[in-house]
Amino acid sequence: MSICSEWDKIDPREYRGIWAYLEVEDGVLGEGGLQMLGVARNLASQKDTYVGGVLIGKGVSSLAREAIYYGADKVFIADDEKFEEYYAALYAEALASLAKEHKPEVILVSGTMRGREFTPYVANTLRTGITADCTSFEVDPAVKDVLGVRPTFGAYLIAHIRTLNRRPAIFTARPNVFPTPERNPAREGEIIHTQPKVADGYGVKLVNKKRFSRGTVPIEKAKILVSGGKGLGSRDGFTILQEFAKVIGGEISGSRKAVDAGWITHDKQVGQTGKTVRSDLYFAVGISGAVQHLYGIREARCVVAINKDPDAPIFDNCDYGLIGDYTEVIPALIKAVKKLQARKTE
Amino acid sequence: MDIVVCIKWVPNTTSVNIDQKTGTLIRSGVPSVINPHDLHALEIALTLKDRFGGSVTAITMAPPSAKLGLEHAIGMGCDRAILLTDMVYAGADTLATSYTLAKTISKLKFDLILVGQETVDSSTAHIGAQVASWLHIPYLYYVVDVNYLGDGKIWAKRLLEDAYEEYELTLPALLAAAMHSTHPRRVKLSYKLRCKSEQIIEVWSNKTLGLEANCVGLKGSPTIVRKTSFVPEVPRKKIVCKPKDVEQAAEWLIKRLIEERLLKI
Ligand SMILES: Cc1cc2nc3c(=O)[nH]c(=O)nc-3n(C[C@H](O)[C@H](O)[C@H](O)COP(=O)(O)OP(=O)(O)OC[C@H]3O[C@@H](n4cnc5c(N)ncnc54)[C@H](O)[C@@H]3O)c2cc1C
Ligand SMILES: Cc1cc2nc3c(=O)[nH]c(=O)nc-3n(C[C@H](O)[C@H](O)[C@H](O)COP(=O)(O)OP(=O)(O)OC[C@H]3O[C@@H](n4cnc5c(N)ncnc54)[C@H](O)[C@@H]3O)c2cc1C
Repeated sequence: MSICSEWDKIDPREYRGIWAYLEVEDGVLGEGGLQMLGVARNLASQKDTYVGGVLIGKGVSSLAREAIYYGADKVFIADDEKFEEYYAALYAEALASLAKEHKPEVILVSGTMRGREFTPYVANTLRTGITADCTSFEVDPAVKDVLGVRPTFGAYLIAHIRTLNRRPAIFTARPNVFPTPERNPAREGEIIHTQPKVADGYGVKLVNKKRFSRGTVPIEKAKILVSGGKGLGSRDGFTILQEFAKVIGGEISGSRKAVDAGWITHDKQVGQTGKTVRSDLYFAVGISGAVQHLYGIREARCVVAINKDPDAPIFDNCDYGLIGDYTEVIPALIKAVKKLQARKTE
Repeated sequence: MDIVVCIKWVPNTTSVNIDQKTGTLIRSGVPSVINPHDLHALEIALTLKDRFGGSVTAITMAPPSAKLGLEHAIGMGCDRAILLTDMVYAGADTLATSYTLAKTISKLKFDLILVGQETVDSSTAHIGAQVASWLHIPYLYYVVDVNYLGDGKIWAKRLLEDAYEEYELTLPALLAAAMHSTHPRRVKLSYKLRCKSEQIIEVWSNKTLGLEANCVGLKGSPTIVRKTSFVPEVPRKKIVCKPKDVEQAAEWLIKRLIEERLLKI
């Protein structure tokens, strides 16, 4: 079979091992990469192969043991001055160079902002397939390839995507969908120091960086979320939700329509084109329950719906539902909490 | 500065309906639009042209109906538009799509390429990085502001979850525009009318580009859909009531959530 002349010929059978890219955030292993180690372990045991962790940066060698504790059998480390600052093409070429040398069958990268930026470049450099934003993985029983599962446009239907004949097969995964594996300090593994081939410069330079605090817990980390939709009617609706969130120790989030209306910022959007949340409690207030929204709350433990329309689809997808106008229900909930708090302190 | 903007012609997601039984999209009668992110890419490009001169060319790889989208781009002020359309380009994944776009761009004179961050239909956010990779040029995602520094350099600012970052990039470079980064300008009728009088929208087929059939469309795409299935339903309790006494119901619910250890007060 002839292939595109821009692609080098490879033998897929030479590729073994499931790799997880480990992003380093403020000197520690990021949650996303740990989640990928969990996925990798599962796939590796089905495929009877090893789990590789990849660490790129300056001074990252000290994190290798942690990577092993979380599930890596081999840790590939590119610890060098030149990786002090993250640049997409630089990190991408480093990872691609390691993959060329060590030939993993699969590379998993958490779809963080950086992950989404540099992974497609890795795939392109290797002339291989990349599947975006996967929410589950499986080993195909017939062909034995790893498939990445991702939503299609509607989010009802999901596509199981395979990379045919090219290796490594590359996948980004939706952050927060997969649990963080247990840390086991008794685990052992191999640490491999590497020197990936990269260019001297990539024509891009960071000249300024300003950190800011949004002053709130990011919604993907919140234990309790009070989420508002178009049914709030106006931005003021969020003031009431904020008050409720405050008394129960939660954060606010919203539907895409609430974001599009400008009532709340996009980093707080829940759903297919927003975030997946894993809160214990999720209040959906004035949210109809469109599939793309429900997609983001699959991992929430308990969903409470408040909507004035008894036929709203959210009521088929909640644990508790109160049919009513939120301007009455939310103040009643606030009152109930305050009453119980007062009783407790008496 | 000569700028190329990549735009995708996508179904208008605000008017898409989903067949609740089959889970498929009801596409019939759904109008298409320029991918919303790409309007921001266009706006950034046109603002740079307003300030520093040069030209803006819009390109799309799509079926012939996407000509309407290119007319919109011309109406916003683009100087030239190219529709890449050929049966051999059909069924492309992002590797093949980015290859076709990159090969097209390399036939044009350009200093800067702008793309949208991602699309609303398949939203992989791959294309920007992949086009940059084919062309070996610097690139940056999540861009909200751009300035030309002269001397073959641009400044770009991007917004991350918890930081603003500013970069200098050597031209030619590629930038992916974040949503909500600008207020995209409206179409001017006088601009749009040029589509009627001039040959301003060019249609390129693979005769024009002459790409190997193995590198484009389905053949140039390593990813394939193995199968599709339905999203499994999450089991929920579905205890729903319409309370006569809201306060009583609220108190019952809060107590219940405390009992289930979901809430602490
Ligand atoms: C490709 C694609 C991706 C998408 N991604 C996302 C995503 O990531 N996240 C997302 O949320 N959506 C997403 N959507 C949009 C989604 O389809 C819905 O349009 C959206 O979720 C609806 O938002 P909503 O529930 O706030 O508004 P609506 O559907 O308009 O619902 C408002 C609800 O409020 C109720 N209501 C009105 N007044 C009151 C009141 N006073 N008290 C109580 N209830 C009241 C109404 O009964 C109604 O049920 C996506 C769509 C597409 C096509
Ligand atoms: C449900 C679904 C899932 C898919 N999943 C994958 C996948 O995981 N991996 C994969 O390789 N392919 C996938 N595809 C195929 C992919 O959608 C196409 O290759 C598509 O042409 C480009 O991808 P995108 O829309 O995600 O673009 P993105 O990468 O999200 O687009 C970013 C920007 O690139 C520009 N751009 C994108 N497409 C064009 C175009 N045709 N013409 C001009 N500019 C453009 C626009 O500026 C756009 O804003 C999927 C398709 C569907 C329908």
